[in-house]
Amino acid sequence: MENSISSARLKQLWFLIRPYVFALGLAFLFTGVMLGLLGFNVWEAFKTLVTTSFSSRFQIVETFKKFTPLVLTTFAFAIPFQIKFFNIGSTGQMIMGGTIATILGLGISSIKMPSALAIILILTAAALTGAFYSLIAGALKAYHNINPIVSTIMLNFVAIQFTNFVATTPPWQAPLTGHPMSKELPEWMLLPKIFSELHVGFLIALGMVAFVYFIMKKTVIGYEIESVGHNLRAAEVHGINIKKTTLVTFFLGGMLAGLAGGIEVLGVHGRLVEGFAVTSGAEYGTFGTLTALISGAEPLAVPAVAFLMSILLNGADSLQRSLMVPVELVFLTQALIVILVVTMRERFKK
Amino acid sequence: MEVVNELLKQMVTYTPIYTLSSLGLVLGGRAGIFNVSGEGTMLAAASAGYIVALQTGNWLLGILAAAAMGAAFGFTLVAIHETTKVSQFIIGISLVILGAGLSDLLYKLVLGVQLFIPEAPKVPEIRIPLLSQIPFLSAFINQNVVVYITYALVIFVYYLLYKTKQGLELRAVGENPKAADVVGINVTLTRYVTTTLGGALLGIAGGYLPLVVTGTYTPNMTNGRGFIAVGIAIFASWRPERTFLGAILFAAIEVVALQMQLSDTLIPYQFFLMTPFIGILVVMWLFKKKVEFPASLGKPYSRE
Repeated sequence: MENSISSARLKQLWFLIRPYVFALGLAFLFTGVMLGLLGFNVWEAFKTLVTTSFSSRFQIVETFKKFTPLVLTTFAFAIPFQIKFFNIGSTGQMIMGGTIATILGLGISSIKMPSALAIILILTAAALTGAFYSLIAGALKAYHNINPIVSTIMLNFVAIQFTNFVATTPPWQAPLTGHPMSKELPEWMLLPKIFSELHVGFLIALGMVAFVYFIMKKTVIGYEIESVGHNLRAAEVHGINIKKTTLVTFFLGGMLAGLAGGIEVLGVHGRLVEGFAVTSGAEYGTFGTLTALISGAEPLAVPAVAFLMSILLNGADSLQRSLMVPVELVFLTQALIVILVVTMRERFKK
Repeated sequence: MEVVNELLKQMVTYTPIYTLSSLGLVLGGRAGIFNVSGEGTMLAAASAGYIVALQTGNWLLGILAAAAMGAAFGFTLVAIHETTKVSQFIIGISLVILGAGLSDLLYKLVLGVQLFIPEAPKVPEIRIPLLSQIPFLSAFINQNVVVYITYALVIFVYYLLYKTKQGLELRAVGENPKAADVVGINVTLTRYVTTTLGGALLGIAGGYLPLVVTGTYTPNMTNGRGFIAVGIAIFASWRPERTFLGAILFAAIEVVALQMQLSDTLIPYQFFLMTPFIGILVVMWLFKKKVEFPASLGKPYSRE
């Protein structure tokens, strides 16, 4: 009796994870073959990719540091995706958040105030910047029916230019540096460390995971988002304001991406550095999109997949350093995993 | 006068980037496939085109390689969509990222890290005698081969869509696949062919960048143009002739922004570099009431 229940459970579990097993298997097979063809030691490469993140205290912290912005940009995509809209603008929202955070930080650096107050002010400003920047795309969709795939990407490019402007123009620009970057923010404004080099932004990110889960599962607005995503017509008939729901998802998504930008500035760089939103060869926003698609944008799956992705990204960095494997290969594998996962999920649905 | 002519010529030189890419999207789009992978397709094609042209010393082989890479992307998108019915947008976005990774990887693997990036053989120019002496007109006809091919393709796609039986069938597939299926049109085949050919056009647009505009491949050299092409296709209501006009507009914006950036103004140059991206949003907003979409665009079709 007991045995049959557990075997039924196992079967259920297998059905759930089957598409992922097949997708990951195929993707890694492809990567393995590619690595082999290119003359790398395949076993050594995979070992580095997977185990680097656990190899030392430093590497564990590095993984958590990658996880922090990644989980936020993943939600930035995942929340509007609940109602089938594509926010691929988390890169722009993140760097706008970081840029405004820097401008504000430098602006208030001469005013005496408690550290905590300054940090809260700056991070709030970063989050609101991201939220309103994303809201441009949300409003263009809600009121003018302009495709968010186009609008969010365009806003990314605008943001990149704006960041470059701030990083290369007085009074913000740091003098005598080759790379565009701003002056340093004062030490007391930076995020305190909680463990070795791990800053408090990690805890903020975890808090946001709980916040998103709460919004999506325990509030009316979360219920409305779910209804619209499930069946737009039915939701409309039941009096849910589609325009409002669209705006809310973009606002929330952009808010998290903007916060990620603020956290990176205050927690990692201590200033605005052009390209601060890039990790392992691509933007956190791009990896967030991939992570969200793999996780199916499920609020509970997002942090888990984002964590696995951080391990992979950290491994990829190490792979590039130690074995000279181009980081793009890992990037390629991840895009492949997405395509395979969504395909397999569809395939095994029937 | 001389300056205006020079600017005009530069604008026409930039036109194929936007024309070919948005025309490629129109081809597949008219049959119902919304291909948003243009950015990745163009990047991968730029890399492939540059490498092949450099290795063989032949620009034509470079353009063909770019077209083949583009066709492969288009085929991948339509094949995955038609067999699994996974959202075209998800596949498209994944292909954007895949293309960005693939382009740099190809470059690194074949050419490695180099101090001096060699220039690929450029697409030659054809001057038409006498006519090329006429000011203004000369800007349009004193051009590289691909520009002439672009003119021909715009006319060809227009003719195909509106003046032939195949074009009528193609549009029927995009408007009402079920009805098209009932009268015996092969919906799936139509989507495969148009999206693959459209991919090839996107590929040529990608290969055009290193082989005409810059001479070399640099990472992310498409710089958002693949997405601007999507915007052009949309505000042009998926019509080839309007696509061409939209392409000219954005080539003009890009050239003017480049000139302004070089000139000495009080406005920081970054704000000029923003103009194409803000421009496409403005234009889409201006045309929002006028745009038409093929009715089945982006939607999967299955018989049951």
